[in-house]
Amino acid sequence: METDDVPLDDKAKRMRDLLSSFYAPDPSSTENAPSNPGTLDAINTTSFDADQYMNLLIQKSNLEALLQRHVEMAAEIKNIDTDLQMLVYENYNKFISATDAIKRMKTNIVGMEANMEQLLDKIMSVQSKSDGVNTSLFEKRERVEKLHRTRNLLRKVQFIYDLPARLEKCIEAEAYVDAVKFYTGAMPIFKAYGDSSFHDCKQASEEAIAVIVKNLQGKLFSDSESIQSRAEAAVLLKQLDFPVDSLQVKLLEKLEQSLGDLQLKTNDIENASMESNDPKQGKVSDSVHITAHEGSVRGFAEAISAYRVIFPESEEQLIKLVQDVVVKNFETTEQYVKGRISSANLLCVLRTIWTDVLLMDEVLSEAVLPVFSLEAAQIALKQHVASSFNYLLQDISDALLRVNVSSKEAAEEHPLQVALEASKKAVLQGSMDVLLDFRQLLDDDLQLLVQLRDFIIDWVQEGFQDFFRALYDRFLLLSGRNSSSRQDQGLTGAHGEKVLAGLVLVLAQLSVFIEQTVIPRITEEIAASFSGGGARGCENGPAFVPGVICRIFRSAGERLLHHYINMRTQKVSTLLRKRFTTPNWVKHKEPREVHMFVDLFLQELKESASEVKQILPQGLARKHRRSDSNGSTASSRSNQLRDDKMTRSNTQRARSQLLETHLAKLFKQKVEIFTKVEYTQESVVTTTVKLCLKSLQEFVRLQTFNRSGFQQIQLDIQFLRTPLKETVEDEAAVDFLLDEVIVAASERCLDPIPLEPPILDRLIQAKLAKWKEQNLISP
Amino acid sequence: MQGGSSGIGYGLKYQARCISDVKADTDHTSFITGTLSLREENEVHLIRLSSGGTELICEGLFSHPNEIWDLASCPFDQRIFSTVFSTGESYGAAIWQIPELYGQLNSPQLERIASLDAHVGKINCVLWWPSGRHDKLISIDDENLFLWALDCSKKAAQVQSKQSSGMLHYLSGGAWDPHDINAVATTCESSVQFWDLRTMKKTNAIEHAHIHNANYDMKKNHILVTAEDESGIHIWDTRKPKSPIQELPGHTHWTWAVTCNPEYDGLILSAGTDSTVNLWMAPTSVEDEAITESIAESPAQQADPLLNSYSDYEDSVYGLAWSSREPWIFASLSYDGRVVVESIKPFLSRK
Repeated sequence: METDDVPLDDKAKRMRDLLSSFYAPDPSSTENAPSNPGTLDAINTTSFDADQYMNLLIQKSNLEALLQRHVEMAAEIKNIDTDLQMLVYENYNKFISATDAIKRMKTNIVGMEANMEQLLDKIMSVQSKSDGVNTSLFEKRERVEKLHRTRNLLRKVQFIYDLPARLEKCIEAEAYVDAVKFYTGAMPIFKAYGDSSFHDCKQASEEAIAVIVKNLQGKLFSDSESIQSRAEAAVLLKQLDFPVDSLQVKLLEKLEQSLGDLQLKTNDIENASMESNDPKQGKVSDSVHITAHEGSVRGFAEAISAYRVIFPESEEQLIKLVQDVVVKNFETTEQYVKGRISSANLLCVLRTIWTDVLLMDEVLSEAVLPVFSLEAAQIALKQHVASSFNYLLQDISDALLRVNVSSKEAAEEHPLQVALEASKKAVLQGSMDVLLDFRQLLDDDLQLLVQLRDFIIDWVQEGFQDFFRALYDRFLLLSGRNSSSRQDQGLTGAHGEKVLAGLVLVLAQLSVFIEQTVIPRITEEIAASFSGGGARGCENGPAFVPGVICRIFRSAGERLLHHYINMRTQKVSTLLRKRFTTPNWVKHKEPREVHMFVDLFLQELKESASEVKQILPQGLARKHRRSDSNGSTASSRSNQLRDDKMTRSNTQRARSQLLETHLAKLFKQKVEIFTKVEYTQESVVTTTVKLCLKSLQEFVRLQTFNRSGFQQIQLDIQFLRTPLKETVEDEAAVDFLLDEVIVAASERCLDPIPLEPPILDRLIQAKLAKWKEQNLISP
Repeated sequence: MQGGSSGIGYGLKYQARCISDVKADTDHTSFITGTLSLREENEVHLIRLSSGGTELICEGLFSHPNEIWDLASCPFDQRIFSTVFSTGESYGAAIWQIPELYGQLNSPQLERIASLDAHVGKINCVLWWPSGRHDKLISIDDENLFLWALDCSKKAAQVQSKQSSGMLHYLSGGAWDPHDINAVATTCESSVQFWDLRTMKKTNAIEHAHIHNANYDMKKNHILVTAEDESGIHIWDTRKPKSPIQELPGHTHWTWAVTCNPEYDGLILSAGTDSTVNLWMAPTSVEDEAITESIAESPAQQADPLLNSYSDYEDSVYGLAWSSREPWIFASLSYDGRVVVESIKPFLSRK
């Protein structure tokens, strides 16, 4: 029908629109044009009002227009009319075709039921037939299945019966993998029926397996087998539920045993170092030794790697083991370092260890051996530095203490000088050697040492700092100044005080030497090759502070020099004390000769002078000194005064002399008795003499004399005058002090009448004669 | 020579060795001193520091029969003092009382209260208990230690007990512990010995040679300071006699006398035969080890214990005394008879 509609295209379309709008459930589709009824367009709306429209039309249009409108409208009405007709027709048409369809359906359905029934019957019969076939075949199938199962079972049983033989075959062929596979396959059966039906079989196969296990173990332990096969053996053993742990332990033990060979023996080290010291044969034997050692290490490394493959989970133990080796090696090294060795030897040892470590590290990098050994090496090196300095210290004190020994033997003429030279050399050469030694450490390109470079530099610097401190302490100890430690230093006390005094002088001079020569040299050297470092943090500054050390030794030198003078004066002091406290001065007899304490005093001075001469440099020219002495301009004046005074004092009474002394004191400048000590022979001797004379004066002041006592003092002092002047640089001060002694004696005298000059002269001459005689007898 | 202007001087006519602080005089700062002249008439001078502190006034001048080797003022009666004297051949010791009518300055006679005449040998010193009223006295001669009971009202002194120092120990002086009324230290050539006065037995000894003088610290118990010939000044803890707790350098020549300040902790004054008086500040509470350590550490860092050296003396200084009334003032006496009173105030503030 639609095909018919195609020619009347527009028309049909319009029709259909209309139709559908008619059937449309919603009539409001047109309401969207609620147009104003007051317009002419409102004709096609629901609210169309014909009258209104008419009126409007009439009002708006003229006649012609109305007429035209009329025509138009008439045409439109006609159109619509035909449309309506068309619609009705169409509707009807459709209705009719529908009725036709229904009628046709009715006729088709009638014969269907019979066909259906027929179909059902046929299906039923097919089913019954198939059931019949099924039941008839069932039994056969059952049997087939049963037979199949039995056959399988039989095959298994056959396998188990064959197992021993097969295993044998496997053993022969060394196909342990298969054997183990078979055996483990058979295991469940053996577990289930092993006690009953398959007893023999089980036993036989177990025996076979035992053989296998044995073989495997052998394989595992035999070093000749390849690592893979050994690893396989281990795996197989494990599969066989063999207690692998015990094996592991055993193997580990074996490794540990082999460690023994690996450890460096002190002897070895010594040998190595001995050989390396001997350049001729050193190379050959050294290399032999090293290769031997390296070989064993390599073997060990291989063993370890094998072990690792075999027992992958045993890493920890291995690490421990390897670390043990390194630790032990370093322990031996430390032991070795404690002895006296050069850095070259240490280097040799360290190099050996380091190669070992590298070898082992390749195998077992988890053990972080390099780091580990770095730490250990750090300790060893530190010890080495410390012990080097210790030995240096020991050397120096040995050199110093040789004074005692040699002077005991009395073979050498200038024991102190020798000792000084020896100790100077010990200090300077020793420290230079030590530095050179350490430089070897720095210069070496061993990786271990390169990493520790900064540390070494710091240690060396620190070492020097500490060394000089220790040396200072040692000096004090040797000099006996450290009263607290005097008791435990038996060796200083054991040798006589005389030697000790000399030693103190040596120490004083040595301190100066260290301050002025050694420290600058070392500073230079350190700056040249030990700069850098800085591992100990910048805030601390460099470890070696030459300024501080210099200061320490400068003060030490001064202290020791004073100490020396003190020791000397102390001895004289005891002498004087004895002299002045023993006799009863109030009941003294007339002086017959110069008292022997003068001899002793001069003897002491001579001794001191001889010591001083050996050690200290000579001062400036004496003549020059004299005019430039401490009394300065005043000294000449006071000299003159004193000369005057002395000439008169011999003739006049002492009382007026006292007054005069006071007067003189008023006018002359105070003579500086106690001046700074310098490192010259004259200065030291002068200071000693001055201190002794001052002591003499003080002792005199504590006594009360009768006339003879006073005269005795006068005589002794007068005699002292000449020899003292010869030894001393500051004549003025000594003169002054000698006068003071006489003055003090006269003050403390009940009846101060001096000896007549002729008698004085005679006695002195007598003494001088005696002296000369003595000197002739014992030169 | 520095600081020469700061001291206030006073001249004695003759040489002199000893000066003592008049402790019992609470109104004035005064010192008492006596001359040492073998052949002249000796004098005892009572000196007072004027209220302005600028002048030394002679408050009393008394003649004394012999040269005075030791002089000590009674700590509880300002008019009483003791002397040790010598005629040149023999020694004597006596307790004196200054007569009431002093101030007239016409050399009135001293009144001898008691004579400590049990001694035979050379008498060294007479000690009063430094801390207060105590009716006992100690006198020390070369060989013996005497304990006297003194009765001022009856004017008598009796030997209460006596102890010999033993062979080969020639006593040279002593000090009475201000903290313990029964403890006395005596010095001899080779050691310092400690005595218990109740039993008169030796309790302890410090073996150290050539000690001239010893002085107890007034403030701290058990601290004894000694002065030696050559080795300077040592500070000891009497409980640890093995080694000194501290060592000070002392003087260029002998260190003759040493005395602790009665008020300020650690201040020590020493006089020496090198004609100087040194003022020391001993660092407090330092361990023995710490000292040796710190010396080794660096000498520069350690503060110099020597605060000042008074060197304006013409001769050896033997006499030294702090004023207990004004503890920043001390008097020193050099052998030529010059008393110098100095104030250490400038050094106190620095401390």
